Order: sequence, then C-alpha cells, then structure tokens
Amino acid sequence: MTEIQKQAQSNKLSIAVAIIVAGIIIAGTMYLSGRGNSVDTGPETKVSIEKTEGLENMNPITGADHIFGNPNAPVKIVEYSDFECPACKLFQTIMIRVMDNYGKSGKVAWVYRHYPIDLLHPLNARKEAVASECAAELGGNDTFWKFANRFFEISLSNDETDINVALPQVAREIGLDEKQFEACLTSGKYDAHIQEDIDNANATGGRGTPWSIVVGQNGKKYPLSGVWPEATIKQLIDRALSLRSK
Amino acid sequence: MLFRAFTKVFQRPLYLAIGILIGSTSFVFIIWLPNIGLVTEILFSSGSLSERIALPVSLLGSISTNFTTLSASFVIAIAVLLGINLAMTTFFIRHRISSVRQSGAATGFIGTVSGMLGVGCAGCGSILLTTVLAWVGAGALIRLLPLQGEEFGIIGVILLAISIFLTAKQIDNPVVCKI
Repeated sequence: MTEIQKQAQSNKLSIAVAIIVAGIIIAGTMYLSGRGNSVDTGPETKVSIEKTEGLENMNPITGADHIFGNPNAPVKIVEYSDFECPACKLFQTIMIRVMDNYGKSGKVAWVYRHYPIDLLHPLNARKEAVASECAAELGGNDTFWKFANRFFEISLSNDETDINVALPQVAREIGLDEKQFEACLTSGKYDAHIQEDIDNANATGGRGTPWSIVVGQNGKKYPLSGVWPEATIKQLIDRALSLRSK
Repeated sequence: MLFRAFTKVFQRPLYLAIGILIGSTSFVFIIWLPNIGLVTEILFSSGSLSERIALPVSLLGSISTNFTTLSASFVIAIAVLLGINLAMTTFFIRHRISSVRQSGAATGFIGTVSGMLGVGCAGCGSILLTTVLAWVGAGALIRLLPLQGEEFGIIGVILLAISIFLTAKQIDNPVVCKI
C-alpha cells in the first residue's frame, strides 16, 4: 500500500471515528437528561439517579396548591416556575390566553409550583417565590395569581429586578398590608415549602423552567418542557381531554 | 474558491439532497430535543398518522417561543452548516480525494459537538451542557459563562464554517503531482 493510500485510509477512519464519537456524546447526554437526574440547583437537591419513573413522582394536587380555574377540571397543567426566568414570563402570558379558552369552560386547571433556579438566579428567585406565598397567605388564592401575573409583568428577569422596589410595589398594587407582607417575607416560614417544590420538580425530571406536567383525567401525565406555542399546548390539552377517565 | 467548491458539490442532486436532508433533520432534532420523550411517545402512539404527527409538527413552532433570538439564530445556522459540511465531506470521501487533511473533518466534528452543547431553550439554557456539567458535578460553572452556555453554539457555528472552508479548499484544489 502506497503512502497516499495509507493516508486516505487513515483519513476515512478518523472521519468515521469522529462521527461515532459525536454520536455517542449526543446519545449519552440525551440518555442522561432523560433519566430524571437532578440539576444542581441548590445544596440539598440531589435526587437518586435510580428513579426512573419521573412524572409519577409528581406530588398530588391538593387544596394547598395554587390553582387557577376549576380545581376539579379533567385536565390539569402543573407548572414548576421561576419568577426570574424570562421564559416563564413568556409562558405566563401564553397560559393566560390558554386559560381564557379552556379555563372558562372548566376543562383545564392551572397549578403553579415553585422552581427557582439558584444556579441562574441566585439573588432574587427564592425570595420572589416566598413573596408569592406571602401574598397567598395574606389575600388568598386569587391574590396569589394577581401577584404572579403582576410580578411577571414588571419583572426584568435574570436577577435584574430590584426586588426592594418591585415587591413592595406589587404588594401595594394588589392591596396587601405592606407591614404584614414584609414580616412574612423575612419570617422564613415558606423556605421549606419552596424547597419541597424544587425537590419535586427535580424528581419529576425537571431540567429548567418552565417545567410543566399535563395531567389527563385518567391520570396519564405528559411532560411539557419549556415554552410551547399556544396552538401546540392546546393540541396537547385536547389530547389529554380525549383520554377516558379511570 | 468556495463558490467553485460549492458548485462542484451541490450541482449534483445527490449531495444537494444529502445537505437538505441532514440540515432539516438536524433542525428538527434540535427543536424537539427539549421534549424528545413526549415527541417519541406521540409519534409511536396509536391513532392515525395525521393525529400522531400533528403535535410534533406544531412543536416546530417553538423555535420562536422556546429559544432566545440568539439561540434560534444559531440553531438555524448550525443546521444549515451541518448539512453543507456533511454533504461536502461525503463528496470528498466518495471521490477519494486522498490528500484531504484531517483538519477539516476534525474541525467539523468539534464544531458539531460544540454547536450541540450550545443549543438550548430560552428557559433552560443549554440542555446538553447543563446535563453534562451536572453529571460531573460542575453545574455551577455554567453561571460563570456570560451567555450561560450559548457561547458553545457560537463556537459551533464558527468551527463549522471553518470546516466548510477547509473542506472546500481541498475539494477545489486537491493536491496533484505538478508537472
């Protein structure tokens, strides 16, 4: 075999190896991302990598949840969200439109749970999650949703919001007692609840926000990662509505 | 030089088809990646073909909702460049241009991997990068990056472009024995 022939063979082999290695890397990361492992969002959020049924780890929906719409709706969209996430801000506007369609007819309920990503938003996200819980404590479920919608409207996202200004402003606008609100914010009473939501998001396979699970009336769960177009969300809802109840 | 190489390769329907197929497959794969489990489940579920493909096709619209402007730009760029790159690579393998240096192929490979690591959705940053770093316990590193992982997409585009240039150079001017 001449020198040129040997080099040609070597080139072909290196190209083939490169393609195979690239494929292994991509397949490997797809496999790892699909196993329900946690993303390191905080000091106590590592979940056993042996859990394989991620969606079934979702905590049951109860009266303690923040529910928009009919609590007995056949389809529920459980969203794990971060108040500093720009994608969640966009998802909020889309979901409001979705609920304008499906919420009024009682077919869909929207459940909000917390998933502040410390890795990306270490300054504000958890505090804002706590603030929303304080809004719920002081004003009830409707006030929680007023807080969430208004805060997403004014938030600059990505830890650029000045929460020393924004939180009192929103509290005032939605009619909360500012002193009681401030006292609640600093009490620490909701820290464990926020962490519980984070742990549950990770256990269900959440990789970032918004992370949603659409629950059909027969209990079938569909993962919804990221921000889907409104039309696609409606298609998934229609699919979930078509499932027969158990 | 680039134009001559492109013409040499893409005037042949086979390589044009390869480029379009690879490019469009890459694009679809990247868009579906954040929800690949659900897409796969629906595609292989019971029901008519139109029912099964309606949602995955609709999900392609998430290029405008699930990706930042920057990320969406380099998703498209990477898909196009990958199609061009692999079509040209296939051309010179088939035509046995034996003097092709390995640098073009290696650059293309690194560019592809880098591009894939940089791909991510608006909310979750780079999915693959986050997963890879978290697996090795270095998830916090992503926060140090100014674009939180999207830099890899930019690097991927640059490397793929370099790879195309190097490959085109070899296709247009293969080493021959000079008389």
